[in-house]
Amino acid sequence: MPSTRCLPVGKRPTIAARDPRTGGAHVAVEALGWQPLGRRTPVLHDLDLTIPAGQRVLLAGPSGAGKSTLLRALAGLLLTAGHGEVAGSVRIDGHDVNRRLGGTGLLLQDPLAGVVAETVGRDVAFGLENARVPRSEIWPRVHATLSAAQFPYPATHLTRALSGGETQRLVLAGNLVLDNGLLLLDEPTSMLDAVAANAVRGAIQREVRERGCTMVAVEHHLEPWVDFADRLLVIGRHGEVLADGVPAQILAEQGDALSAQGVWLPGLPAPRPVPVDATLVAPWVDGPQRLVTATGVRVELRSSLADRAAPPTVALAGVDVELRSGQALAVTGVSGAGKSTLVSVLAGLLRPTAGSVEADPALATRRGTRPWRWRSRDLTARLAWAPQSPEHGIVTATVRDEVLASARACGRDTARAEARAVGLLEVFGLDGLATVSPYHLSGGEQRRLIVAATLAHGPYGVLLDEPTVGQDRHTWGAVIGAISAARDAGAGVAVSTHDLMAADVLADDRTELAGGRVVR
Amino acid sequence: MTVRSWQRLRAPGPLSLVAGCLVPVAGTFAIDSALEGIIGLAAQVLALGWLIRDVRGTVLRAAVGFVAAAGIAVSTWLYGGRDLGEAGMAACRILYLVLPSSMLLPLLRPSQLGDHLAQRLHLPDRGVVACVAALQALDAFAADWRTIQHARRARGLGLDGGPWHRLKGSGATAFALLVVSMRHTGAMSVAMDARGFASATDRTWAEPAPWRPADSLLLSQAVLLAALPWLLH
Repeated sequence: MPSTRCLPVGKRPTIAARDPRTGGAHVAVEALGWQPLGRRTPVLHDLDLTIPAGQRVLLAGPSGAGKSTLLRALAGLLLTAGHGEVAGSVRIDGHDVNRRLGGTGLLLQDPLAGVVAETVGRDVAFGLENARVPRSEIWPRVHATLSAAQFPYPATHLTRALSGGETQRLVLAGNLVLDNGLLLLDEPTSMLDAVAANAVRGAIQREVRERGCTMVAVEHHLEPWVDFADRLLVIGRHGEVLADGVPAQILAEQGDALSAQGVWLPGLPAPRPVPVDATLVAPWVDGPQRLVTATGVRVELRSSLADRAAPPTVALAGVDVELRSGQALAVTGVSGAGKSTLVSVLAGLLRPTAGSVEADPALATRRGTRPWRWRSRDLTARLAWAPQSPEHGIVTATVRDEVLASARACGRDTARAEARAVGLLEVFGLDGLATVSPYHLSGGEQRRLIVAATLAHGPYGVLLDEPTVGQDRHTWGAVIGAISAARDAGAGVAVSTHDLMAADVLADDRTELAGGRVVR
Repeated sequence: MTVRSWQRLRAPGPLSLVAGCLVPVAGTFAIDSALEGIIGLAAQVLALGWLIRDVRGTVLRAAVGFVAAAGIAVSTWLYGGRDLGEAGMAACRILYLVLPSSMLLPLLRPSQLGDHLAQRLHLPDRGVVACVAALQALDAFAADWRTIQHARRARGLGLDGGPWHRLKGSGATAFALLVVSMRHTGAMSVAMDARGFASATDRTWAEPAPWRPADSLLLSQAVLLAALPWLLH
């Protein structure tokens, strides 16, 4: 019997406390469709799906297949997240999901999106407050959940002092404190380094096992989930079901077919980089051998706006690296090690607090050889950069303009730039989306678009922050192929990445950072 | 007095802090000589200064007020008959207005403010929660602004060139920030609704919103600071 101990009698039965022995929620999806505003084709079309209580489903598919969309539909939050047309129905334990908001745990890719409060305890308490749990019961439940989740900090710890992985574990605790019968996971580990990802996965699997809740997880890399999941559901590029069944069996019987669809499967070698024509990605004109040299670089960043008394964070301390033509450097290390900062410093975006960042004299502008002093247009012609979150990199209103923006800003020949842009969009599978707004692309598509935008105008140096996140096997091969081709054609490449496979395939040289220092 | 109760007196709640910033404003209108102003300002520092935690930050914030006051003083001196007393009075009025806020505002914590607005002033729960969550995301907002500016600079659309260029560039950055933060807010509201916020028309609060002696003390100080210039008058 589902217990209702946390609810005042007669109040909204939206968040039912769940007895672990009865297992999780039962999910029934009928003829589900979703067509967001501004896209000509639906993301989901006529989808039927039944998930028995307590089942652990692993949801896979190529980039842009509508996996995240399906999760939002299961949470009844399609219209919270965007505008568009919904068809069909989703029922959880027999209730229409749109009438029964809440009761479903949801972990998103971006850990920060899940944090609502200043302290750890208050954040976990958020759902209980919404469920009108009296104060006297809130704190015991918060403490019990935190200790059951083996959360390493007390309830008074500040949420902004948590790392990405710790934040994800906090969000998990904040969802589980509600005794949810259904837990939805939207690539919760894709922005984390291997160690943090392991810890988050471990916490999720332990809680799901103990509570017996129903789970639907979207993950690009299936390996760590295959033994844990009862069922593997693979959806294709148009939201159609490609495979559905016991994971091990599907992998044995349909492994090759799924892999050909771009799905990441355990035990397979890295995808082969797609061959890319050098004329699409080569530097516009040949450059010098040594592009940028960083010596003894130290960078301090202000840690908080709200708390000005907080001491600045030392992001880099005494780092020496060199960006060389025809070489690819992979910058690795755990989250917070300073990878993004190092790439930004090489890209001329951050002024070092101490030490020097100097470009080759052949690249000098009127403002000298220090890239952070250059005018924006001069910088673009020499060095390109893609941010870790692609949507921050969007500067125009259509996919096509986005790829051409830098070429226009630094006055490149129009015909040649357009030919390169068209070619790159084709390589990245975005040619059909040229007139769409970049904001309407999926996360993986946006990332490829921003990588294309760093290559189209042929800079000497290409600096990329996590270029492979959210890619399927095909698009991964295209991204790595394009970057390798640029390197082979003489560009200097530096990539900060958690993706060790990408580092293995791409890098001529590696720098591992820890706490802002080079450790290897 | 024990150390503990001293510490408690130094930690007033959010409503009295807001009152401490606003109520003394009423005294500003009564300042009509530089001497009155200086006495008033000294009283402000004496009354509120002991609550300051972050001295350097407070000095920086107050410096902004000093610059504004200096500007007013100079223009009053130039156009107000070159009278030093008049200029000093004008400067003191401005400082009397901003000094309490520069001392007290950093003590305000968004989550506490939310607790008190909802439970003590009975403002609508949903609005309060949304405001607290937005304040919570302020650091993320600043980081977004920096990243967007970096991206625009790297793409050749950065803020250099003449003032017109800069203005246009800032506008474009602001637009991108609006889009990004709306999407961030969208993701955040998905996460909040998944935790039952969508159907929470009234909710409980994990923390109480007590009115403590520290609050009464600060409120009475604020009233005195509002009255002082009128008494000196």
